[in-house]
Amino acid sequence: MEFRNPKVPEGINVSRHSPLYEFFLLSLGTLLLCVALAFASLFLGSLLGRHAPVAWEKAVAGMIIGDRLPEAAPESEAETGPLRAELQALADRLSAHIELPEGLTVKAHYLDSDQVNAFATVGGHIFIARGLIERMPHENALAFVVGHEVAHVAHRDPAAALGGVVLLQALFALASSSGSELPGELLVGPNALLLSGFSRDVEREADAAALAALAGLYGHVAGASTFFEAVLHLPQPPALLSSHPLTRERIDAIAETARERDWPLQGPVTPLSPALARLAGDGG
Amino acid sequence: MEAVFNFFGLSLVVFLLVLGYGFGRLAEARHYRSIRRREEAFSDLIIVCCKTVPESLPAGGSQMVRGSVVVSIDYFKHFVAGLRMIFGGRVHTYESLLDRGRREALLRMQAEARKLGATVIFNTRFETSSISKGGGRSIGCIEVLAYGTAILP
Repeated sequence: MEFRNPKVPEGINVSRHSPLYEFFLLSLGTLLLCVALAFASLFLGSLLGRHAPVAWEKAVAGMIIGDRLPEAAPESEAETGPLRAELQALADRLSAHIELPEGLTVKAHYLDSDQVNAFATVGGHIFIARGLIERMPHENALAFVVGHEVAHVAHRDPAAALGGVVLLQALFALASSSGSELPGELLVGPNALLLSGFSRDVEREADAAALAALAGLYGHVAGASTFFEAVLHLPQPPALLSSHPLTRERIDAIAETARERDWPLQGPVTPLSPALARLAGDGG
Repeated sequence: MEAVFNFFGLSLVVFLLVLGYGFGRLAEARHYRSIRRREEAFSDLIIVCCKTVPESLPAGGSQMVRGSVVVSIDYFKHFVAGLRMIFGGRVHTYESLLDRGRREALLRMQAEARKLGATVIFNTRFETSSISKGGGRSIGCIEVLAYGTAILP
Protein backbone atom coordinates (compact mmCIF):
# COMPACT_ATOMS: atom_id res chain seq x y z
CA MET A 1 0.00 0.00 0.00
CA GLU A 2 1.25 3.45 -0.84
CA PHE A 3 0.58 6.36 1.45
CA ARG A 4 0.84 9.99 0.54
CA ASN A 5 -0.33 13.37 1.81
CA PRO A 6 -2.77 15.08 -0.50
CA LYS A 7 -2.59 18.83 -0.90
CA VAL A 8 -5.27 20.25 1.40
CA PRO A 9 -8.10 21.42 -0.82
CA GLU A 10 -9.12 25.02 -0.16
CA GLY A 11 -12.64 26.35 -0.08
CA ILE A 12 -14.38 23.21 1.21
CA ASN A 13 -14.23 23.69 4.94
CA VAL A 14 -13.95 27.44 4.74
CA SER A 15 -16.60 29.36 2.77
CA ARG A 16 -15.48 31.98 0.34
CA HIS A 17 -17.83 34.58 1.75
CA SER A 18 -17.03 38.23 2.21
CA PRO A 19 -17.22 38.76 5.97
CA LEU A 20 -18.10 42.41 5.43
CA TYR A 21 -21.07 41.48 3.25
CA GLU A 22 -22.24 39.05 5.88
CA PHE A 23 -21.76 41.68 8.57
CA PHE A 24 -23.87 44.25 6.75
CA LEU A 25 -26.56 41.76 5.84
CA LEU A 26 -26.86 40.45 9.38
CA SER A 27 -26.71 43.94 10.91
CA LEU A 28 -29.45 45.12 8.59
CA GLY A 29 -31.55 42.09 9.44
CA THR A 30 -31.07 42.65 13.16
CA LEU A 31 -31.93 46.33 12.82
CA LEU A 32 -35.12 45.56 10.91
CA LEU A 33 -36.02 42.94 13.48
CA CYS A 34 -35.54 45.44 16.32
CA VAL A 35 -37.64 48.07 14.55
CA ALA A 36 -40.39 45.54 13.88
CA LEU A 37 -40.31 44.39 17.51
CA ALA A 38 -40.40 47.99 18.74
CA PHE A 39 -43.43 48.78 16.60
CA ALA A 40 -45.14 45.56 17.60
CA SER A 41 -44.60 46.25 21.30
CA LEU A 42 -45.78 49.86 20.92
CA PHE A 43 -48.90 48.65 19.13
CA LEU A 44 -49.62 45.79 21.52
CA GLY A 45 -48.84 47.95 24.57
CA SER A 46 -51.17 50.72 23.44
CA LEU A 47 -53.88 48.16 22.75
CA LEU A 48 -53.49 46.76 26.26
CA GLY A 49 -53.31 50.26 27.78
CA ARG A 50 -56.43 51.45 26.02
CA HIS A 51 -58.46 48.48 27.22
CA ALA A 52 -57.02 48.15 30.72
CA PRO A 53 -59.51 48.68 33.58
CA VAL A 54 -59.92 52.33 34.54
CA ALA A 55 -58.99 51.44 38.13
CA TRP A 56 -55.58 50.27 36.92
CA GLU A 57 -55.04 53.49 35.01
CA LYS A 58 -55.86 55.49 38.13
CA ALA A 59 -53.54 53.36 40.27
CA VAL A 60 -50.69 53.79 37.79
CA ALA A 61 -51.38 57.53 37.61
CA GLY A 62 -51.16 57.71 41.39
CA MET A 63 -47.80 55.94 41.31
CA ILE A 64 -46.33 58.06 38.54
CA ILE A 65 -47.72 61.48 39.34
CA GLY A 66 -48.11 61.09 43.08
CA ASP A 67 -47.33 64.39 44.75
CA ARG A 68 -45.75 66.00 41.71
CA LEU A 69 -48.85 67.90 40.63
CA PRO A 70 -48.19 71.61 40.14
CA GLU A 71 -50.62 72.62 42.88
CA ALA A 72 -48.75 70.46 45.40
CA ALA A 73 -46.63 73.52 46.21
CA PRO A 74 -48.88 75.34 48.73
CA GLU A 75 -47.15 78.74 48.39
CA SER A 76 -48.55 79.27 44.90
CA GLU A 77 -52.01 77.92 45.73
CA ALA A 78 -53.49 81.36 46.50
CA GLU A 79 -52.48 82.54 43.07
CA THR A 80 -53.18 79.47 40.95
CA GLY A 81 -56.13 78.06 42.91
CA PRO A 82 -58.78 80.23 41.18
CA LEU A 83 -57.21 79.52 37.76
CA ARG A 84 -57.36 75.80 38.37
CA ALA A 85 -60.95 76.05 39.60
CA GLU A 86 -62.00 77.91 36.44
CA LEU A 87 -60.17 75.46 34.18
CA GLN A 88 -61.83 72.60 36.05
CA ALA A 89 -65.25 74.23 35.63
CA LEU A 90 -64.67 74.58 31.90
CA ALA A 91 -63.45 70.99 31.66
CA ASP A 92 -66.52 69.79 33.56
CA ARG A 93 -68.88 71.67 31.25
CA LEU A 94 -67.13 70.15 28.23
CA SER A 95 -67.10 66.69 29.83
CA ALA A 96 -70.89 66.76 29.78
CA HIS A 97 -70.67 66.61 25.99
CA ILE A 98 -67.87 64.03 25.74
CA GLU A 99 -68.59 60.51 26.88
CA LEU A 100 -66.00 59.55 29.50
CA PRO A 101 -65.33 55.93 30.48
CA GLU A 102 -67.04 54.87 33.66
CA GLY A 103 -65.07 55.82 36.74
CA LEU A 104 -62.80 58.26 34.95
CA THR A 105 -63.17 61.99 35.68
CA VAL A 106 -61.18 64.87 34.26
CA LYS A 107 -58.95 66.75 36.68
CA ALA A 108 -57.69 70.03 35.26
CA HIS A 109 -54.36 71.55 36.35
CA TYR A 110 -52.79 74.93 35.73
CA LEU A 111 -49.14 74.83 34.68
CA ASP A 112 -47.06 77.94 35.30
CA SER A 113 -45.04 77.71 32.09
CA ASP A 114 -44.35 80.00 29.15
CA GLN A 115 -44.89 77.15 26.71
CA VAL A 116 -47.92 77.32 24.47
CA ASN A 117 -48.91 73.88 25.58
CA ALA A 118 -51.62 71.64 26.95
CA PHE A 119 -51.52 67.91 27.47
CA ALA A 120 -53.38 64.99 28.96
CA THR A 121 -51.91 62.14 30.93
CA VAL A 122 -53.10 58.99 32.67
CA GLY A 123 -55.72 59.13 35.39
CA GLY A 124 -57.74 61.87 33.69
CA HIS A 125 -55.26 64.65 34.48
CA ILE A 126 -55.05 67.45 31.95
CA PHE A 127 -52.56 70.30 32.12
CA ILE A 128 -52.98 73.75 30.61
CA ALA A 129 -49.92 76.01 30.48
CA ARG A 130 -49.96 79.74 31.18
CA GLY A 131 -48.38 80.46 27.77
CA LEU A 132 -51.42 78.97 26.08
CA ILE A 133 -54.04 80.73 28.20
CA GLU A 134 -52.31 84.07 27.57
CA ARG A 135 -52.92 83.67 23.85
CA MET A 136 -56.61 82.87 24.14
CA PRO A 137 -58.85 85.82 23.28
CA HIS A 138 -62.06 84.21 24.54
CA GLU A 139 -63.42 81.12 26.27
CA ASN A 140 -64.44 79.37 23.05
CA ALA A 141 -60.84 79.22 21.86
CA LEU A 142 -59.66 77.83 25.19
CA ALA A 143 -62.62 75.44 25.30
CA PHE A 144 -61.50 73.81 22.08
CA VAL A 145 -58.03 73.10 23.49
CA VAL A 146 -59.42 71.88 26.82
CA GLY A 147 -62.03 69.84 24.95
CA HIS A 148 -59.26 68.29 22.86
CA GLU A 149 -57.47 67.15 26.03
CA VAL A 150 -60.71 65.93 27.62
CA ALA A 151 -61.28 63.91 24.44
CA HIS A 152 -57.83 62.33 24.84
CA VAL A 153 -58.86 61.28 28.36
CA ALA A 154 -62.19 60.00 27.07
CA HIS A 155 -60.54 58.00 24.27
CA ARG A 156 -57.98 56.72 26.82
CA ASP A 157 -55.12 57.89 24.62
CA PRO A 158 -52.71 58.59 27.52
CA ALA A 159 -53.26 55.05 28.87
CA ALA A 160 -52.66 53.64 25.39
CA ALA A 161 -49.50 55.70 24.99
CA LEU A 162 -48.25 54.69 28.43
CA GLY A 163 -48.95 51.03 27.69
CA GLY A 164 -46.95 51.27 24.49
CA VAL A 165 -44.01 53.03 26.12
CA VAL A 166 -43.96 50.63 29.08
CA LEU A 167 -43.92 47.56 26.84
CA LEU A 168 -41.24 49.11 24.64
CA GLN A 169 -39.16 49.91 27.72
CA ALA A 170 -39.65 46.39 29.03
CA LEU A 171 -38.46 44.99 25.72
CA PHE A 172 -35.50 47.37 25.77
CA ALA A 173 -34.58 46.43 29.33
CA LEU A 174 -34.86 42.75 28.44
CA ALA A 175 -32.66 43.15 25.37
CA SER A 176 -30.03 45.31 27.01
CA SER A 177 -30.23 43.41 30.32
CA SER A 178 -29.31 46.67 32.00
CA GLY A 179 -32.77 47.05 33.49
CA SER A 180 -32.98 50.72 32.58
CA GLU A 181 -35.78 52.52 34.33
CA LEU A 182 -38.56 54.49 32.77
CA PRO A 183 -37.97 58.17 33.59
CA GLY A 184 -41.07 59.78 35.07
CA GLU A 185 -40.72 63.01 33.10
CA LEU A 186 -41.45 61.11 29.89
CA LEU A 187 -44.93 60.44 31.19
CA VAL A 188 -46.09 63.61 32.92
CA GLY A 189 -43.94 66.35 31.46
CA PRO A 190 -44.63 68.41 28.38
CA ASN A 191 -42.71 65.86 26.33
CA ALA A 192 -45.00 63.03 27.33
CA LEU A 193 -47.19 63.30 24.28
CA LEU A 194 -44.28 63.63 21.90
CA LEU A 195 -42.58 60.52 23.11
CA SER A 196 -45.68 58.44 23.26
CA GLY A 197 -46.22 59.30 19.62
CA PHE A 198 -49.93 59.93 19.50
CA SER A 199 -50.74 59.21 15.93
CA ARG A 200 -52.35 61.75 13.69
CA ASP A 201 -55.55 59.75 13.59
CA VAL A 202 -55.79 59.93 17.37
CA GLU A 203 -55.36 63.72 17.17
CA ARG A 204 -58.01 64.06 14.49
CA GLU A 205 -60.45 62.07 16.58
CA ALA A 206 -59.72 64.26 19.60
CA ASP A 207 -60.26 67.36 17.43
CA ALA A 208 -63.58 66.00 16.21
CA ALA A 209 -64.75 65.19 19.74
CA ALA A 210 -63.68 68.64 20.96
CA LEU A 211 -65.58 70.25 18.09
CA ALA A 212 -68.70 68.27 18.94
CA ALA A 213 -68.38 69.32 22.59
CA LEU A 214 -68.05 72.96 21.50
CA ALA A 215 -71.15 72.68 19.35
CA GLY A 216 -73.02 71.06 22.24
CA LEU A 217 -71.91 73.66 24.77
CA TYR A 218 -72.27 76.89 22.78
CA GLY A 219 -74.53 75.89 19.89
CA HIS A 220 -71.83 76.90 17.42
CA VAL A 221 -68.11 76.22 16.85
CA ALA A 222 -66.84 79.79 16.54
CA GLY A 223 -63.30 80.16 17.85
CA ALA A 224 -62.45 76.48 17.43
CA SER A 225 -59.56 77.20 15.13
CA THR A 226 -58.46 80.40 16.92
CA PHE A 227 -55.70 78.53 18.72
CA PHE A 228 -54.29 77.10 15.50
CA GLU A 229 -54.57 80.41 13.71
CA ALA A 230 -52.69 82.03 16.60
CA VAL A 231 -49.88 79.48 16.55
CA LEU A 232 -49.56 79.58 12.77
CA HIS A 233 -47.84 82.93 13.21
CA LEU A 234 -45.41 81.76 15.87
CA PRO A 235 -41.84 81.40 14.60
CA GLN A 236 -41.42 78.08 16.38
CA PRO A 237 -44.38 75.68 16.46
CA PRO A 238 -45.26 74.91 20.08
CA ALA A 239 -44.36 71.48 21.41
CA LEU A 240 -48.02 70.55 21.46
CA LEU A 241 -48.16 70.67 17.69
CA SER A 242 -45.01 68.93 16.62
CA SER A 243 -46.59 65.50 16.96
CA HIS A 244 -49.95 66.68 15.75
CA PRO A 245 -51.32 66.94 12.25
CA LEU A 246 -50.24 70.03 10.40
CA THR A 247 -51.89 73.13 11.77
CA ARG A 248 -53.26 74.24 8.40
CA GLU A 249 -54.76 70.79 7.82
CA ARG A 250 -56.48 70.93 11.18
CA ILE A 251 -58.00 74.35 10.54
CA ASP A 252 -59.39 73.02 7.27
CA ALA A 253 -60.65 69.86 8.96
CA ILE A 254 -62.51 71.94 11.58
CA ALA A 255 -64.22 73.99 8.88
CA GLU A 256 -65.11 70.88 6.90
CA THR A 257 -66.50 68.96 9.88
CA ALA A 258 -68.55 72.00 10.90
CA ARG A 259 -69.98 72.22 7.37
CA GLU A 260 -70.80 68.51 7.27
CA ARG A 261 -72.50 68.52 10.66
CA ASP A 262 -74.22 71.85 10.08
CA TRP A 263 -72.55 73.56 13.03
CA PRO A 264 -72.40 77.31 12.60
CA LEU A 265 -68.83 78.58 12.27
CA GLN A 266 -69.89 81.99 13.55
CA GLY A 267 -71.63 82.89 16.75
CA PRO A 268 -71.36 85.02 19.86
CA VAL A 269 -68.15 84.18 21.72
CA THR A 270 -68.09 83.88 25.51
CA PRO A 271 -65.51 85.96 27.37
CA LEU A 272 -63.00 84.18 29.58
CA SER A 273 -63.93 83.72 33.23
CA PRO A 274 -62.42 86.34 35.60
CA ALA A 275 -59.12 84.75 36.72
CA LEU A 276 -58.33 83.38 33.27
CA ALA A 277 -59.23 86.73 31.68
CA ARG A 278 -56.87 88.51 34.08
CA LEU A 279 -54.07 86.13 33.06
CA ALA A 280 -54.81 86.52 29.36
CA GLY A 281 -54.97 90.30 29.79
CA ASP A 282 -51.61 90.41 31.62
CA GLY A 283 -49.96 88.22 29.03
CA GLY A 284 -51.50 89.88 26.01
CA MET B 1 -23.99 62.01 31.26
CA GLU B 2 -25.64 58.79 30.26
CA ALA B 3 -25.51 59.93 26.66
CA VAL B 4 -21.75 60.35 26.97
CA PHE B 5 -21.42 56.82 28.29
CA ASN B 6 -23.68 55.49 25.56
CA PHE B 7 -21.65 57.31 22.94
CA PHE B 8 -18.44 56.03 24.47
CA GLY B 9 -19.78 52.49 24.56
CA LEU B 10 -20.89 52.65 20.95
CA SER B 11 -17.60 54.15 19.80
CA LEU B 12 -15.76 51.39 21.62
CA VAL B 13 -17.78 48.73 19.81
CA VAL B 14 -17.15 50.37 16.43
CA PHE B 15 -13.46 50.77 17.25
CA LEU B 16 -13.17 47.11 18.28
CA LEU B 17 -15.04 46.03 15.16
CA VAL B 18 -12.71 47.97 12.87
CA LEU B 19 -9.67 46.81 14.83
CA GLY B 20 -10.90 43.23 14.80
CA TYR B 21 -11.65 43.29 11.10
CA GLY B 22 -8.32 44.87 10.18
CA PHE B 23 -6.03 42.85 12.39
CA GLY B 24 -8.11 39.70 12.04
CA ARG B 25 -7.85 39.79 8.25
CA LEU B 26 -4.16 40.54 8.40
CA ALA B 27 -3.38 37.80 10.93
CA GLU B 28 -5.50 35.26 9.08
CA ALA B 29 -3.92 35.96 5.70
CA ARG B 30 -0.44 35.69 7.24
CA HIS B 31 -1.33 32.50 9.08
CA TYR B 32 -2.73 30.85 5.94
CA ARG B 33 0.42 31.75 3.99
CA SER B 34 2.54 30.15 6.71
CA ILE B 35 0.27 27.08 6.87
CA ARG B 36 0.49 26.47 3.10
CA ARG B 37 4.25 26.91 3.07
CA ARG B 38 4.78 24.43 5.92
CA GLU B 39 2.27 21.94 4.50
CA GLU B 40 4.35 21.93 1.35
CA ALA B 41 7.52 21.41 3.40
CA PHE B 42 5.99 18.51 5.37
CA SER B 43 4.31 16.87 2.38
CA ASP B 44 6.74 13.91 2.61
CA LEU B 45 5.80 13.23 6.24
CA ILE B 46 2.73 11.05 5.75
CA ILE B 47 -0.27 11.40 8.05
CA VAL B 48 -2.90 8.63 7.97
CA CYS B 49 -5.86 7.73 10.11
CA CYS B 50 -5.46 3.89 9.89
CA LYS B 51 -5.21 2.17 13.24
CA THR B 52 -3.00 -0.68 12.08
CA VAL B 53 0.44 -0.43 10.58
CA PRO B 54 0.84 -2.54 7.41
CA GLU B 55 3.27 -5.46 7.69
CA SER B 56 5.19 -4.18 4.71
CA LEU B 57 6.19 -0.97 6.51
CA PRO B 58 9.63 -1.23 8.10
CA ALA B 59 9.20 -0.11 11.69
CA GLY B 60 11.99 0.39 14.18
CA GLY B 61 9.63 1.58 16.87
CA SER B 62 6.70 3.89 17.53
CA GLN B 63 6.02 6.92 19.63
CA MET B 64 3.07 9.18 20.26
CA VAL B 65 3.41 12.63 18.75
CA ARG B 66 1.10 15.55 19.30
CA GLY B 67 0.52 19.10 18.18
CA SER B 68 -1.63 21.53 20.05
CA VAL B 69 -2.74 25.04 19.21
CA VAL B 70 -4.87 27.66 20.88
CA VAL B 71 -6.59 30.13 18.55
CA SER B 72 -8.73 33.09 19.45
CA ILE B 73 -11.31 34.75 17.26
CA ASP B 74 -11.28 38.50 16.68
CA TYR B 75 -14.00 40.84 17.86
CA PHE B 76 -15.41 41.35 14.36
CA LYS B 77 -15.90 37.65 13.72
CA HIS B 78 -17.31 37.16 17.17
CA PHE B 79 -19.79 39.98 16.55
CA VAL B 80 -20.88 38.57 13.20
CA ALA B 81 -21.22 35.10 14.74
CA GLY B 82 -23.37 36.62 17.49
CA LEU B 83 -25.68 38.14 14.89
CA ARG B 84 -25.72 34.83 13.03
CA MET B 85 -27.09 33.15 16.15
CA ILE B 86 -30.25 35.24 15.80
CA PHE B 87 -31.02 34.05 12.31
CA GLY B 88 -29.28 30.67 12.14
CA GLY B 89 -27.26 29.27 9.27
CA ARG B 90 -23.61 28.53 8.68
CA VAL B 91 -21.30 30.51 10.93
CA HIS B 92 -18.85 31.34 8.15
CA THR B 93 -16.66 33.47 10.36
CA TYR B 94 -15.91 30.56 12.72
CA GLU B 95 -15.07 28.15 9.89
CA SER B 96 -11.70 29.66 9.10
CA LEU B 97 -10.82 29.73 12.80
CA LEU B 98 -11.36 25.98 13.14
CA ASP B 99 -9.75 25.23 9.79
CA ARG B 100 -6.64 27.13 10.79
CA GLY B 101 -6.62 25.44 14.19
CA ARG B 102 -6.77 21.92 12.78
CA ARG B 103 -4.17 22.48 10.09
CA GLU B 104 -1.80 24.22 12.51
CA ALA B 105 -2.16 21.37 15.03
CA LEU B 106 -1.33 18.79 12.34
CA LEU B 107 1.73 20.80 11.31
CA ARG B 108 2.99 20.95 14.88
CA MET B 109 2.46 17.22 15.25
CA GLN B 110 4.42 16.70 12.02
CA ALA B 111 7.17 18.96 13.30
CA GLU B 112 7.54 16.77 16.38
CA ALA B 113 7.59 13.62 14.25
CA ARG B 114 10.18 15.15 11.97
CA LYS B 115 12.44 15.76 14.98
CA LEU B 116 12.16 12.06 15.85
CA GLY B 117 13.08 11.17 12.29
CA ALA B 118 9.70 9.56 11.54
CA THR B 119 8.31 9.52 8.02
CA VAL B 120 4.76 8.42 8.75
CA ILE B 121 2.18 9.01 11.52
CA PHE B 122 -0.58 6.46 12.07
CA ASN B 123 -3.89 6.66 13.89
CA THR B 124 -4.11 10.46 13.70
CA ARG B 125 -6.89 11.91 15.87
CA PHE B 126 -8.25 15.38 16.70
CA GLU B 127 -9.61 16.86 19.88
CA THR B 128 -11.19 20.29 19.88
CA SER B 129 -12.20 22.08 23.02
CA SER B 130 -13.51 25.53 23.74
CA ILE B 131 -11.38 27.24 26.34
CA SER B 132 -13.75 30.16 26.81
CA LYS B 133 -16.72 27.87 27.36
CA GLY B 134 -18.97 29.33 30.03
CA GLY B 135 -17.12 32.61 29.85
CA GLY B 136 -20.31 34.46 29.05
CA ARG B 137 -19.63 37.19 26.56
CA SER B 138 -15.93 36.49 26.26
CA ILE B 139 -14.39 36.14 22.85
CA GLY B 140 -14.32 32.60 21.47
CA CYS B 141 -11.06 30.77 22.06
CA ILE B 142 -10.41 27.15 21.12
CA GLU B 143 -7.73 24.55 21.59
CA VAL B 144 -7.16 21.98 18.84
CA LEU B 145 -5.06 18.95 19.68
CA ALA B 146 -3.86 16.53 17.00
CA TYR B 147 -2.14 13.32 18.06
CA GLY B 148 -1.02 10.12 16.45
CA THR B 149 1.53 7.34 16.48
CA ALA B 150 4.78 8.15 14.71
CA ILE B 151 6.51 5.09 13.21
CA LEU B 152 10.23 5.40 13.78
CA PRO B 153 12.64 4.04 11.15
